Amino acid sequence: MPVSVTRAEGAAPPAADNGGADDLLVSVQGVSKTFRQRGRHVQALQRVDLDIRRGEFVSLLGPSGCGKSTLLRIIGGLHEASSGTVTVNGLSPDAARAAKQYGLVPQAPALLPWRTVAQNVRFLTGLHRGVATHPVMSDADIDALLATVGLATFTGAYPHELSGGMQQRASLVRAFALGAPILLMDEPFAALDEITRADMRYLLLDLWSRINTTVVFVTHSVTEAAILSDRVVVMASHPGRIATERAIELPRPRTPEMEDDADFHEIVRMLRSDLREHHSR
Amino acid sequence: MSTSFEVTRAGTAAPASHGAAPDPGDAAPPVSNRVRAARILRLAAPVIGLAVFFLVWQYGVKLFDIKKFVLPRPSDILSSINGDKSFYIRNARSTIWEAFLGFSIAFLLAMVGATLMAHSRFIERAVTPLALLVQVTPIVAYTPAIVAWQGFGLHSIVVVTSLVCFVPFLVNGVSGMRSVDPSLIELARSVDASRREVFVRLRLPSALPNLFSAARIAVGLALIGAVLGEFYAGSTSGLGYAVRVAQNRSQLRGQLWGAIYVLGFIGAAATLLVNGVERYALRWHSSQRR
Repeated sequence: MPVSVTRAEGAAPPAADNGGADDLLVSVQGVSKTFRQRGRHVQALQRVDLDIRRGEFVSLLGPSGCGKSTLLRIIGGLHEASSGTVTVNGLSPDAARAAKQYGLVPQAPALLPWRTVAQNVRFLTGLHRGVATHPVMSDADIDALLATVGLATFTGAYPHELSGGMQQRASLVRAFALGAPILLMDEPFAALDEITRADMRYLLLDLWSRINTTVVFVTHSVTEAAILSDRVVVMASHPGRIATERAIELPRPRTPEMEDDADFHEIVRMLRSDLREHHSR
Repeated sequence: MSTSFEVTRAGTAAPASHGAAPDPGDAAPPVSNRVRAARILRLAAPVIGLAVFFLVWQYGVKLFDIKKFVLPRPSDILSSINGDKSFYIRNARSTIWEAFLGFSIAFLLAMVGATLMAHSRFIERAVTPLALLVQVTPIVAYTPAIVAWQGFGLHSIVVVTSLVCFVPFLVNGVSGMRSVDPSLIELARSVDASRREVFVRLRLPSALPNLFSAARIAVGLALIGAVLGEFYAGSTSGLGYAVRVAQNRSQLRGQLWGAIYVLGFIGAAATLLVNGVERYALRWHSSQRR
């Protein structure tokens, strides 16, 4: 098995060599979020602190109601924090949104039904044009990505002609095509069948290894978090908070065979026990 | 939660298949005789239905010896149309023009209204009861009032026609513009898209299926509006005018039925036209799957 650099907690990702504070892409400090629901205040997040380094793949893992999607949306400037601060690439989330720093992958593929695959993957690039400070992906690169995910022969197809897995692959390409420094993924594979999901995980890792970018990935699947991530942030509910964090010290690139390894099973076992420990209250 | 064992097994088969494997089911299956027969029947069914209806009419009138001035046979009606083609063409032209004007004005005004309503819940709540009131009040009742107010002529006819077409376009337009997938709106927000971009690139296309449903309803309503307008607005042309003139004269029974046939034909042709445009414009939509 090829053993590459182990990216442990605190170690710099291979792309950068300066280390330290310059590597910090996302900084979440003391963020709380309270929703008002039928006159009652519901605390969705309580004093969350989280730092994400450039190039890191971080999963937010937890049961439903733990605020993991809320945290993702606050980082992405789609929800406002009730208190605390979030900095993304030196900007506020709203400013980062305005500078097109985010590539969002929602749970549903959310493709435009009236546009072909080729047009859909360029849809976000075409919106709010000319503000991005980073280079957007070239047409040829987008086509190459489509080929990577097996959609080369489907570029002229409409979404309703594709299977759910193919739609979600197009949705992934759409996010990568923005060339954004940070990708936010909200349980993107949750609606897929187990076999397709397993495929999609390695496909995502493949894309991520080609395009050096940062991913924040929300999931409620322990195995998914373990095989994908550099670091898993385990969250707990009532109120939503970060319970613990674990660095996943499996070598890259990750392969399906690793899921049979004792190391992997040990990681899954630890994550499960983390979840159980903070869930039984 | 799934066991790691399951996941491991599923994952083993993964990476090789990323290549280009198209989904199964895309390849066209060989067409069996039964499938072909079903396809022909599907196309023939409407023709058979129409043919049976007119044959029963044609021979029923003869069989029960119904007088021509009570109910003429389809063949009599067709030959009466054929005998006075220029009369029907001239009048059909006026009626089509009135219906087209009313239909188009209603569409344009409704789009403006729907845009405002889709952007403001307040405007939507304020306008909806009014729109429903216009719709539930029988158009036949307020047509004379509109003529009394607007005067005789084309003007009144077009007002009646647009009024009757307006509400379906408005209601469907609003619900269509609101029907955008919330995930798409969130995606647009994630790149800070402007309201205008969201409207033009998400809301308008999303409203198309609803607008075509409205158009199919409005085609029939536009003809009703135009004919009704011609009844009351002192019109001296149009198929509605031809109907009114023939109403009380048994010797013009052929003209009465001739106008009805031509109106039916116009309505059917316009509906087919709308369907054709819809099929083309909504080729991406699930309702157009064959």
